[in-house]
Amino acid sequence: MFRPAHRYLILLLAVITTPSPSAETGFAGDWMIELHSADAPITGLLQLEKSAAGWQGYVEGGPVDVTIAGKAIEVRVDSRDLSGFVFYRVLRGTLDDGKLVGHFTIERERASTEREGTWTGVRKSPQQPIDDPQPVDLSGIWTPARGVDFRKYSMDLTPQAEEWHGNYLMHYDQPNVRCASVGIAAMVAWGAYPFEILETPGRLTFLYEVDSEVRRIYLDGTPQPEYYPPSDMGYSNAYWDGSELVIETVNLAANVRDFRGEPISDGASMLERYWLGDDGKTLNAVIELHDPVNYRRPPIRRRMWTRNPETRIYPYECDPESFYRQMYDEGRMDMYFERADRRN
Amino acid sequence: MLRILLAVSAIGLLLCGPASVVAHHSFAAEFLPDETGTISGVVTQVWFKNPHARYYIEVSDDDGQVVTWDTRANSPSLLVRKGWTKESIKVGDQVTVHGYLGRDGRKLMSIITVTFPDGTVLRDKQEEPN
Repeated sequence: MFRPAHRYLILLLAVITTPSPSAETGFAGDWMIELHSADAPITGLLQLEKSAAGWQGYVEGGPVDVTIAGKAIEVRVDSRDLSGFVFYRVLRGTLDDGKLVGHFTIERERASTEREGTWTGVRKSPQQPIDDPQPVDLSGIWTPARGVDFRKYSMDLTPQAEEWHGNYLMHYDQPNVRCASVGIAAMVAWGAYPFEILETPGRLTFLYEVDSEVRRIYLDGTPQPEYYPPSDMGYSNAYWDGSELVIETVNLAANVRDFRGEPISDGASMLERYWLGDDGKTLNAVIELHDPVNYRRPPIRRRMWTRNPETRIYPYECDPESFYRQMYDEGRMDMYFERADRRN
Repeated sequence: MLRILLAVSAIGLLLCGPASVVAHHSFAAEFLPDETGTISGVVTQVWFKNPHARYYIEVSDDDGQVVTWDTRANSPSLLVRKGWTKESIKVGDQVTVHGYLGRDGRKLMSIITVTFPDGTVLRDKQEEPN
């Protein structure tokens, strides 16, 4: 048994070493974080919530491991590299004067070209009222640029989506390997192909090189027909919020969110916000997928493109022969047809 | 006699890594990121179509047995921007292909380079944004 004097000493030490509740609660809420390294900067939404179970964190809508003690924070973010392999960005930092500041490192099983660096976080600004329209010229061909996106790997899936995704066979279930459209939610975030924007009165038309897809975006409120089937491009209306273009796409067809195969359900919607860089030569976007059937919070992607008048949109002739031939050679055609229900 | 030259490296090749040869499919699903190989043989079929260009190459091993490799390059619409056209590799061409090996021991390769007997090299390398 401790004597009373020792009890007081232990209590004093506990008070000194226990993080102040007020310091910890200062972390709760939404933060916009920026990562800087030798590569292009990365931006993301960090959401921190505390419940009886402890701290929960989300980056770009997907769960992350969070540890908070006093003014110190550690966030472990699973991401995928450009080849589809998972790695972790581990953000360590402190909360000072209402801002997050720290250093991040890269963790993965194999060597990586991903770079470590510094990071900062500021409180996400509250939603502002819609500004008067100030349209800007977005027309032209846009080529993907590096950086911006976290490439967050796991998302906050519903049990239904977890079950579907648990049975996903990468490559065999991916639509575009057999020349079927992968859908706008995946296409808009792919980094390899350019797209072209055409402006006409009351309408924008986005022409994507990949899959030769066409997307009509109405600026004049043209309503959907009484029945408009769900489709891979959905139905898009847009408006100008100041000089930012906001596109609301509804009626998406069931598909996958990217080649990892997380599902999108019939009737899902997408919210995109596009804006020009100060020089008018870069186009930025933040893209949210809204599909409560499959995601408990919206997955977020960020993209940037550079204006490229030197290139053209090339034809994208696609032949599924290579996919079916491989299936045939490997004796897997039966497996493919047995999985037909996953392609509805 | 043509020879298979499988040079498997445990790690490395990061600067010209798989990121540079993947357009929009999951490289991870089909290929080994840390194991590369080199084959030499004769092109028997050319598929210059999306989603990926594909070249079938007949290779003889040390025992004289002929095996066909399925070698894959990037999307044609990305290759042509680098000057790699439908005519760059033709049926009957003798080529040496260096690339990432397929999973499960399949005769599958994701092309890094294609080298011709005169020393000409085609590089399927793309600095892909994320």
